[in-house]
Amino acid sequence: MAALLAGIVALNVGVLRLNMKGEQLDEEYNQLVTRHRELEVDFSRKADAGRIESIALDRLGLVRAEDRRYLRLQPPKKG
Amino acid sequence: MRQANRRIRLLIAVFALLFLAAFGRVAWLQAVKAHALDQIATSQHREERAVPARRGTIYDRTGRLLAFGERATTVYANPRQIVDARAAAVVAGQALELEPGDLYDLLSDRSKGFVYLARQADPDKAEELKSKEIPGIGFYPEERRVYPQKAVASEVVGYAGTENTGLSGLELQLDKVLAGKDGSETVIRDPFGRRIEVVDSKKVENGRNVYLTLDHSLQRQVEKILRRTRANWAATAATAVVLDVKTGGILALAVEPGFDANTYPNVSRWDEERLRNRAVTDTYEPGSTFKVVTVGGVLESGLVSPTTKFRLPGEIKVGDRVIHEAVARGTQTMSVAQILSHSSNVGVITLAIQLQRERLSEWIKRFGFGAKTGVDYPGETRGIVLPPDEWSGSTIGNVPIGQGIAVTPLQMVAAYGAIANDGMWVQPHLVERVDGQDPAKPKTRRVISEQTASQLTRMLRGVVEEGSGVTAQIDGYRVAGKTGTAAKPDPTGGYSTSRYVASFVGFAPASNPRIVVLVTVDEPRGAIWGGTVAAPAFAEIGQFALEYLEIPPDRAG
Repeated sequence: MAALLAGIVALNVGVLRLNMKGEQLDEEYNQLVTRHRELEVDFSRKADAGRIESIALDRLGLVRAEDRRYLRLQPPKKG
Repeated sequence: MRQANRRIRLLIAVFALLFLAAFGRVAWLQAVKAHALDQIATSQHREERAVPARRGTIYDRTGRLLAFGERATTVYANPRQIVDARAAAVVAGQALELEPGDLYDLLSDRSKGFVYLARQADPDKAEELKSKEIPGIGFYPEERRVYPQKAVASEVVGYAGTENTGLSGLELQLDKVLAGKDGSETVIRDPFGRRIEVVDSKKVENGRNVYLTLDHSLQRQVEKILRRTRANWAATAATAVVLDVKTGGILALAVEPGFDANTYPNVSRWDEERLRNRAVTDTYEPGSTFKVVTVGGVLESGLVSPTTKFRLPGEIKVGDRVIHEAVARGTQTMSVAQILSHSSNVGVITLAIQLQRERLSEWIKRFGFGAKTGVDYPGETRGIVLPPDEWSGSTIGNVPIGQGIAVTPLQMVAAYGAIANDGMWVQPHLVERVDGQDPAKPKTRRVISEQTASQLTRMLRGVVEEGSGVTAQIDGYRVAGKTGTAAKPDPTGGYSTSRYVASFVGFAPASNPRIVVLVTVDEPRGAIWGGTVAAPAFAEIGQFALEYLEIPPDRAG
C-alpha cells in the first residue's frame, strides 16, 4: 500500500515536472520563432537591392555600365 | 455550588452561541457564498486564455519577406480600478513612450470600464510597465503586421488592419488562408504562477505562408523607373506590369503614386487615388496598342496575309465620322505589316471592315477583353466592351483603333502575352503557391495559331525597329511591341484635347519571348506620345529585367 502511494506521488511529481518543462519549452519555442523572424527581417533589409546599390555607388564608388556590348558566340563545330 | 453551576451554564451558553455563530458562518459560506468563492478560488489557479493564430507570412518568389506578423502587446485599463490616475499616467507614459496627458484623460474617465492605452505596443516596453504592477492596467499579446519593404509592392500586398484582418490587396484576397484559426487552452497554475497542468485545449491553426510570383528586386526597380517617368512628364499616375510569358506569373506590378502600408491606419484616410491598384481595377482607352486585335483577327481568319497590300487614303468616313491618321498624309499603298508598324488608323479600320462587327467582337473577346482575367486579386474589373448589337454605325471606325472601348492594363499585358506565347493566352496570377496546398494551375487557352502569333511578332518587331516604337529598343535584345496614345474621354462629351494616356506594351527577346512589359502613363504633360513618354520606360524596365533574369541576348550590339 505504501509503495503504491509512493508510486502515485512520484507519478504526479513527474507529470508536474513535465508540465513545467513543457511551459519552458513553449517559451523557448516562442523566443526562437521571434528570433527567426527578426533574422529574416534583418536578412531582407541587408540583401535589399536598393541598399546594395547605394553601398556600391556611395561607399565603393562603383558606377553603372554606360556602354553595353553583347557578343554572340557560336559554339565550336565538332571535329 | 450554585455559583459554580451558574458559571458552567454561562460557559455552555457562550460556547453554544459561538458554535451557532460558527455554524451560521459555515452555512453562509457553504450555501450562499459557495459559488462565488469557488469562482474566486478557481480564478486564482485556473487560467483560460486565447491562443491567437499567427498570420501567415507573404514572401516574394525569391523568399524575401513582403509582409509578416511581429509580436506585440496591447495595453488596456479599467479606469474604475485605477487608484491614482495621475501617477499611473506618468508611469505608463514613461514606459510606453506616450504622452502622459493623453493617458491621464483615458485613465481618469471613470464612466468607462475599459480603455486602450496602447494597441500593439512594443512588447519590451509593455513588459517594463507590467513590472510596475499597477492595479487596473492589463496586457494581452497580439500580432502587428509589418511590411519590411515599405512602399515596395504596397498596391499588390495591400494591408491588414489593427485587428489583423486583411483590408486591401492580397492581404484581403488571401485573408482566410493567412489568418488561420485561434486556439485556446485552460491551464492550472501553482501559487507561483507556474503551469501545473493543461486541462483543456483547442489547437491553434496558424495562418499559411504565401509565396508570390513577384520579384522584390525587379519590383523595386520598376517602381523606381516609373516614379522617375511620372515625375519627368508631370503625369497624374503611371502603371507598369512585367509578366512571365510562359507561366503567366506577374513578376512586377507597379503603380505610381504608391503608399507605405506600415503607415496604416493613416493610409485609409489618404486619397483613394493612392490605394487603387490601377493595373487591375482601372480601365483606359488603349488606343493603338489595341490594333493587334484587328490585325490578328484578319490574319487568323485568312482574309489577308502580312504582305497583302491596300491603297489607303489619308482619311476614312465611317458612319457619321471621318477618321484621320495621327500624322496627316496623302493616299499611300501599305501592306498589312506596314499598317501595323506605321500604326495606320485608316489601314486598321479598312481591315476591321473586312471582318465586320460580329467577327471583330468575337476577336476582341478571344483576346480576353470585356472579361475578367481571373487574376487572384480583389476588385478586378472587366472593362467596357459594347456587344455588337449595341454598336452604332461609326463604332467599327472607333473600336479597332482602341477608342470607345476600355480595358485594364492587365488584360492588355495578357493579350500581348498570348502573342508572345505562340498564341496561347495564360491567366495572369500573383500567387505562386500557398504552404500546404498544391500550386494553382493558371488557365490557358489558344487565341491564335502559332503561325499568326509569329507573323504578328514580326510586325511588332517592325514597330520597334523602324516604326513609332524605336525608343523601346533594348541593347542586345530584339523587341516586339506597340505604342499607344489615346485621348481621354471628356466629362462634357467627346474626347479631351489635353488629357491623354501614353502607353507601350511589348515583349522580348522577340526570337524567344520571356517577358511582356506594359507601361501606361496617365495625363503626361509636355509630350503625349506613347513612343516618347512610355517606350523609354519600357526599354529601361526591359533592360533591367532581361539582365536580372539572366535571359540570353538574341542579337549582338
